[in-house]
Amino acid sequence: MSSHPLALIAEITHRCPLHCVYCSNPLQMTAARAELSTGDWQRVFCEAAQAGVLHLHLTGGEPLARADLADLVRAARQAGLYINLITSGLGLSEDRLSALVDAGLDHIQISFQEARAEAANWIAGAKAHAYKIALAKSIRTRRLAFTANLVVHRQNLDHIAEMIDFLASLEPDRMEIAHTQYYGWALENRAALMPTGAQIEKAVEVVAEAEKRFAGKIRIDSVVPDYFARYPKACMGGWGRKLMLIDPGGRAMPCHAAAVIPGLRFDNVQEHSLRWLWEESSAFQRFRGEDWMPEPCRSCERRAEDFGGCRCQAFLLTQDASATDPTCTKAPTHQLIDAALLAANSEPARSKPVAAESFSQLQERTRTLWSYRVDPA
Amino acid sequence: MPLPLDTSQPKLASGCRWGGTDDDRVVLYPEGMVKVAGTGRRILEACDGERTFLDIVEELQANYSASDPIKIREDVANFLASLRDKRIIDY
Repeated sequence: MSSHPLALIAEITHRCPLHCVYCSNPLQMTAARAELSTGDWQRVFCEAAQAGVLHLHLTGGEPLARADLADLVRAARQAGLYINLITSGLGLSEDRLSALVDAGLDHIQISFQEARAEAANWIAGAKAHAYKIALAKSIRTRRLAFTANLVVHRQNLDHIAEMIDFLASLEPDRMEIAHTQYYGWALENRAALMPTGAQIEKAVEVVAEAEKRFAGKIRIDSVVPDYFARYPKACMGGWGRKLMLIDPGGRAMPCHAAAVIPGLRFDNVQEHSLRWLWEESSAFQRFRGEDWMPEPCRSCERRAEDFGGCRCQAFLLTQDASATDPTCTKAPTHQLIDAALLAANSEPARSKPVAAESFSQLQERTRTLWSYRVDPA
Repeated sequence: MPLPLDTSQPKLASGCRWGGTDDDRVVLYPEGMVKVAGTGRRILEACDGERTFLDIVEELQANYSASDPIKIREDVANFLASLRDKRIIDY
């Protein structure tokens, strides 16, 4: 294991004006009144930098929902962290963006849902698309690195080429094509989001062509989604090896979804130092290293590359958090993935976005298709 | 992968900055970092947006006078071009 975390993911709030159907937040969210104070977060950032953390990812929910965001950025920058803000952009005025840049923000990532406004708003469950474009334009007038992220799935993959051109028109430094991962709300809505094999093949081709076209101008990051790959992803770079996530209430976790695993105890930054949490907290030790591994992982030559895949996915799909990630073709439960893909491929009609004039019409026509993320109380 | 010109003035790309400690230098970028040491570090530290590609190459050729100067020039050009593709260097 690393002797210290390299990156800290701070989920500073679960509040969000968007309702994206693939949101990775847990179904049970932290209420606003239970969020950590400004002072708590500032102390955490100092401890993180002292422990050897290099990157801070400020995320949520929507981080802008916290009025003290610029103060948090300033404290993190003074501590020496590289600061990335992951935002929808809603609530980011010109003045507030200036304050964040002045406070030392290094990088901003805005996530887009589609190239077309109606479809984008339909997926987000909010009229957000136009704000995001305006924000992207404002970012390019400032000294701030910019990643345009696009979450792709069954309902938008038919427009992959158009969407990449749209993102490129915003002139980002980096483009991230993120296939939906099935946790939280995305798992609830999996049948509506799971792409067909043909969509994935086409996407791989279009992305490879775009990588060549934009080489040296826009870096494009994209990976084949794990349901379609031979081997599982090295989730979070391995349990408790590189990353620490702190949720809005201060619980330290090895990843976004870890709260779904029963029997794990998450200690809180209000009671423990960051270094103690990394070294001593039982949740971080639970799947660290190789002792927990079952066969075929235990004797697999890839165990130091993918660490047995994702513990949360193993639990969500097999009810056993110690199982080999079912997305691995060697896993005894791999038929669960085959079944999900078969279902996706046998219902081609679901992959056709419904034609409609407006966002509200689209929502009306797809009322039974999926559930929108709700905001915490 | 366009190679730098003699007059190119390479510098860290937008979103990249130095981090780590003096003994353990890294270049931080949005989703990760690269550890740099030895000659790689020396080249990157020379990429200050002021010095030209030719300045950087001549400095190295002077420092490594036992090595083939043409090979040094090629190696530095390829190194910078590969970092440009990764959006770590701009020129």
